[in-house]
Amino acid sequence: MIVARVQSNEQVLQGTLDMLILKALSLAPMHGWGLTHRIEQLSSEALQVGQGSIYPALIRLEHRGWIDTEWRTTDNNRRAKYYRLTAAGRRALGDELASWRRFVAAVDLVMAASR
Amino acid sequence: MLHLVRTAAARLRELTRRSAVEAERDEEFRFHLEMEVELNRRRGLTDAEARRAALLAFGGVQRFREEASEARGIASLDKIARDTRFAVRRLWRSPTFSLGVVATLGVGVGAASAIGLLVYGVMLRPLPFPEPDRLVRVAFRTPGIDAGREHAHSHASFVHLRDAARAFSGFGAYHVNDAVNLTDPGDPQRVTAVMATPSVLTVLRVVPALGRPFAEHDAKETGTLPVLITHDLWRSRYGGDPGVVNGLIEINRRPRRVIGVLPAGFSFPVPASAVWFPLDVTVERAALDSRYLNVVARLRDGATLQEAGSELRAAIPRFPDRFPNISPADVERSDARAEVELLKDAIVAPVRQHMTFLGLTMLFVLLITVANVTNLFLLRAERLRHEIAITTALGAGSLALARRFVTEGIVLGAAAAVVAVPIVVAAVTSRFGFTSRDVPRLEEIALTPVWLVVVVLLLMLIATLVALVAFARGRRSRLSDAAQLRSTERTLTGGGWRRAQQVLVAMQVAVALALLLTASLMGRSLWNLRRVDLGFVPEQRATLEVTLPFRDYESYGQIAAFHANVLDRIRGIPGVAGAEAAREIPLIDENPEEPTLEFDAVGRETSQRASANVATPDYFRLMGIPVLHGRTFVSGDVRATMPAIVVSASLARALYGTTDVVGRAVRPPSPGSDDVLFRVVGVVGDVPRWRIEDGPASMAYFPLLRDADGVPPGGVRAPILMRSARYVLRSHLPVTQLAPAIRAGVRELDPRVPVTNFTSLEAMVDAATAGVRLTMLLLALASSAALLLGVIGVYSVVSYGVAGRRREFGVRLALGATPTRIQRTVLAEGARLAVIGAGGGLLAAAWGARIARSLLYGVSPTDPVLYATITAVSIAIAIGAALLPARRAGRLDPAEVMRGD
Repeated sequence: MIVARVQSNEQVLQGTLDMLILKALSLAPMHGWGLTHRIEQLSSEALQVGQGSIYPALIRLEHRGWIDTEWRTTDNNRRAKYYRLTAAGRRALGDELASWRRFVAAVDLVMAASR
Repeated sequence: MLHLVRTAAARLRELTRRSAVEAERDEEFRFHLEMEVELNRRRGLTDAEARRAALLAFGGVQRFREEASEARGIASLDKIARDTRFAVRRLWRSPTFSLGVVATLGVGVGAASAIGLLVYGVMLRPLPFPEPDRLVRVAFRTPGIDAGREHAHSHASFVHLRDAARAFSGFGAYHVNDAVNLTDPGDPQRVTAVMATPSVLTVLRVVPALGRPFAEHDAKETGTLPVLITHDLWRSRYGGDPGVVNGLIEINRRPRRVIGVLPAGFSFPVPASAVWFPLDVTVERAALDSRYLNVVARLRDGATLQEAGSELRAAIPRFPDRFPNISPADVERSDARAEVELLKDAIVAPVRQHMTFLGLTMLFVLLITVANVTNLFLLRAERLRHEIAITTALGAGSLALARRFVTEGIVLGAAAAVVAVPIVVAAVTSRFGFTSRDVPRLEEIALTPVWLVVVVLLLMLIATLVALVAFARGRRSRLSDAAQLRSTERTLTGGGWRRAQQVLVAMQVAVALALLLTASLMGRSLWNLRRVDLGFVPEQRATLEVTLPFRDYESYGQIAAFHANVLDRIRGIPGVAGAEAAREIPLIDENPEEPTLEFDAVGRETSQRASANVATPDYFRLMGIPVLHGRTFVSGDVRATMPAIVVSASLARALYGTTDVVGRAVRPPSPGSDDVLFRVVGVVGDVPRWRIEDGPASMAYFPLLRDADGVPPGGVRAPILMRSARYVLRSHLPVTQLAPAIRAGVRELDPRVPVTNFTSLEAMVDAATAGVRLTMLLLALASSAALLLGVIGVYSVVSYGVAGRRREFGVRLALGATPTRIQRTVLAEGARLAVIGAGGGLLAAAWGARIARSLLYGVSPTDPVLYATITAVSIAIAIGAALLPARRAGRLDPAEVMRGD
């Protein structure tokens, strides 16, 4: 069941997508196409990444120095651009996660209020 | 912070390897698509469906590309086009602002650029010769004996100083002669010639485009003298035919060999020069007078101006050593001195002050233009304050806002270029209304495409900078966006800026008024000039000029016979009612070589300098010049023991105190030692000489009679021979129609005599006022421009004041003040500026007019009626500029203003 569609022009969700990409790349380096499907897979199909949003996000992350690129040959002997996490990216992932946890906790507090 | 730097670096890197990046991205997307298509096929779709589904999911590669570019921050051409369209639309919605900026920038920068071009071309640009800063002029003066032109050399001084000074690598002399006739081939043509030593061209490092330059032996040539011709003459008269080199042409009825053609664009020493002759500087009789040569020289490498100067000064006392003819006493008496100055300085000297003044004017114009435009932008930023604050609160980045302002600036700059460029082009093409005689190096001013590009870029730069400044001040406090939204107080600038604005606007009004007043004074002068009594009748009269060479026309009799024969022929042309001749006619082009002589009254101590004219007997009747007393010439007048002379009324009055001087004698200076007395046989009315404004000229007329035929040369006592003559004829036909017949008549008698300068007397009179007309036109243009800028300035300053006092006005309106009262307050500020400015303008105009008094005619430089009317009109216009903001202030809704708090 699809819970949310991640579009690129919403500030909050943009940050969330960045975090998701960082997490996915922390598990293994991947090309753009692979990333869209990996995130879907990791969320058990709950999150569907808009294929238009993944590349701008990747470019953003590359500018920030959080990911690196490298052209490699896939298993099917095709050339693809692979992305992987840098040391800074790994640190950023930790920060983003902490922010996210705080955000979720705050939202929970509001929603749990009875008065 | 670091990530900003890294982002910037990444963007810069990407900008530089743009196409490689694009190719990479395309490959990445292709891979993505292929994988997606493959996945879809594995899920069971057909090839076509798989592809379609993949594309759909991908959402269109174009959008991708856009978003990817967006994220990178490189603006695509689409974005720039879109930004521009929005900017144009926004500017269209504020017409007063946009028009004000475009007009101010266009007129201001256009005028400033034109002036800048003039000042640069005349004063700053180096001379168009190799190493021009080594070129100098050597001036020779003899204050003790005043003979000859200011800084000119005699043969002796040239030769002596050339050999004495070691500081020069080249030393040359030249002299300009503007009465040289080209007789063959084709129509006779009068041209300007330059006689120069071969060293002049070597000093300037100019090499002929064809042929060879002068060599030392050329001046001593006894056979056919070699000459060089200029490029313009080569093109116009010889059709650019290279065969003319080493061929013969005829000058003053003597054959000359053309040994070369000077390069194009070479116009030293005067733009009109056409032929160069070699100058022979052998010293026949050494003297310190008869100075007529100009000397140019090139400093040796390493020599300084001071060294050269002291060497020359040291050489002066050694004149007697070189030339025994010149004694030390001669040198002492003449107070001879030699000076060296840079050639460019020497050429520019007559107009240096004017150019400096113009340069300052240019800076002033730029200053008020930038100030005005800044005002207008600040005003706009003030008005848009709320809009900007809202936009920022909704999330627009400051970069996006800045980009918006910058785009508007660029668009306005480009629009202003449409106004500025024609101004610059018109100014340069019309040579600013000057002639080469007024302004040296005028012909060197060229409007290269580089200048135009510079002007356009300058405009866009100014507009953009001003826009950014206004934007920056408007965004000064990011944190208080909310506070900005609430407040209505002027936040943009302080009192200091406001005072400066007011001063500048008052100055603009002052300048506009001063120019207007001067323009109207000139207009009045012109009106007067056209109504003055000229003393002769120009209607239906025409004139032409004829110049006889020396050979075959050496005696009075030969000259008189020629003129008489030609005049008879001209009288015979159908349509011609009469033809006479004189050496000089009124209002011809100024020529300082025209002779004046000192006439002594016999029997009295008075003497008067007057121009010496020669005329045929019926010349006065033809010209409509009244004979006040006595008669004109009759046969026998020129061979009498006391030859006859006719004087003008002012000369008579100057010599004898009355116009009735028939029978009296005058003594003009004689070439020989015998004193020849001339008897006055008639007194005629005055005519002006060169300019109508100078009033009547003292003139004496010697007779031109054909009964001197056969009298040996020297047998006729006439101080002036009429080799160059002006024929005047009376006809109802236009002179252009008669010209061919006249030319034929002259050609029949002597085919080598050129006939030039056909013009009607009416055109000549018109030309005499042309200078005043032109000055008036220029002043009128300048004053309109200044008035326009002044009006825009007043409008912007007053509007600005209103914007800042909104709260105050709102309070006053709420407390019961009428809108009219508010309007009056605003108008009062406009009036204050106008009156203060007008005061300054009046003073400036009165002072300036006093200086330019010689240009005025028949009107006082401080004519009260003129001053009063123009000043009143100007003040009214300036106050009118404040009407719009006043009305806006009156219409303020106090409730809305208060609510804003």
